[in-house]
Amino acid sequence: MTNSHKLALAALLLPAAGLVIAAAPHPAYKARHQNFETMGKAMKATFDEFKRPAPNLAVFKSSADILAASAVKVKGQFPKGTGPAPGIKTEALPAIWDRPADFAAAADRLVGATKGYQAAVVTGDLAGIQKAAGAVGGACKNCHDSFRKPKA
Amino acid sequence: MVKPVIAAETAAGTPVRLWDLPVRLFHWSLAVLIALLWWSHENHDMDLHITLGLITLGLVVFRLLWGLVGSSTARFAGFIKGPGAIRRYLAGLKSGTGEHVIGHNPLGALSVIALLGAVAVQVGLGLFAQDHDALNSGPLNFLVSYDTAKEASELHEAMFNVILGLIVLHLAAILYYRFIKRDNLVGPMLTGRRVFDRAVPTPRIAPLWLALVCAAVAAALAVWVNWGLPPFATPWPWDRPVQISAPADYM
Repeated sequence: MTNSHKLALAALLLPAAGLVIAAAPHPAYKARHQNFETMGKAMKATFDEFKRPAPNLAVFKSSADILAASAVKVKGQFPKGTGPAPGIKTEALPAIWDRPADFAAAADRLVGATKGYQAAVVTGDLAGIQKAAGAVGGACKNCHDSFRKPKA
Repeated sequence: MVKPVIAAETAAGTPVRLWDLPVRLFHWSLAVLIALLWWSHENHDMDLHITLGLITLGLVVFRLLWGLVGSSTARFAGFIKGPGAIRRYLAGLKSGTGEHVIGHNPLGALSVIALLGAVAVQVGLGLFAQDHDALNSGPLNFLVSYDTAKEASELHEAMFNVILGLIVLHLAAILYYRFIKRDNLVGPMLTGRRVFDRAVPTPRIAPLWLALVCAAVAAALAVWVNWGLPPFATPWPWDRPVQISAPADYM
């Protein structure tokens, strides 16, 4: 590693050291983060399974159930006053509170998509499951596009 | 490996074929690809981003192969030098007594390794990275856990800044040679030719068919990676099951 690389690395790491966690943020931040992470893991489990030589229906079923159970929580996990604030690490955009009806619609679309995934699992048709799981991903993306801070 | 001394020389003032076509194509393709990769990500066009990333993978593999079997100025063994040679080159640069090197100079070799290495690492991280919506994860994402993939995604993002830094350094070096050393590096990278003020050994240019073989191998490898390295962890695309058999009373 040349000196310039060390410098570049140092420049990359410095801002991380500057992050300070504010005292006792609202519990909603953590609760929804965990809920989204649970959904992210279920989505990954779903798409990983399509790659296996013999996809296991039980994995799709449990993933669909986890997603459906988590999806219904989303709408209620953004109480007023839990938006972006100094010292708080969140990717939630103010649009969530500025356009509540749109946000609710986006959350409902996710709930509907997860139900569709659950219904598709019953058929055992891989293409159908793949399409339904893709619709869940589409619902994730739909909401992220408007209400999640884009990665710089 | 000791090579026989190349007898052929090019007289002073006569253009020398310095960079072969594959090296130049590789160089400018990579420059364009890095810009497009950044742009596609900025635009949230992840399908395009992944396609471009796989092309970059093929390109990097090609350059590694060409560094082993390509023209004399393309070969790693020809231009990668130890710290002693780098020090001597730097001293020559400072005093103005150093001669123009035929091909990459010992310092420039470090730049080649750093840029090629950084792009290789970046492509490698991208293969395992995951997308927020699970729709556009890297083609090898399924081989690693959620947390590992998250780590890869974050490093993939950080690594871009390292690459940017190296590009700035690369451009600064070009300007330094252009305006301080009165040495135009961009022209030869476009035309492949340059004139020396002394007789120099003529670089040995590898045949184009060999470059095509290397390109075919690299492209095949990129396609295979995109398929998820079948048949080890996943079946060949044409062997994928369509229906899952489950007992009728399963649900």
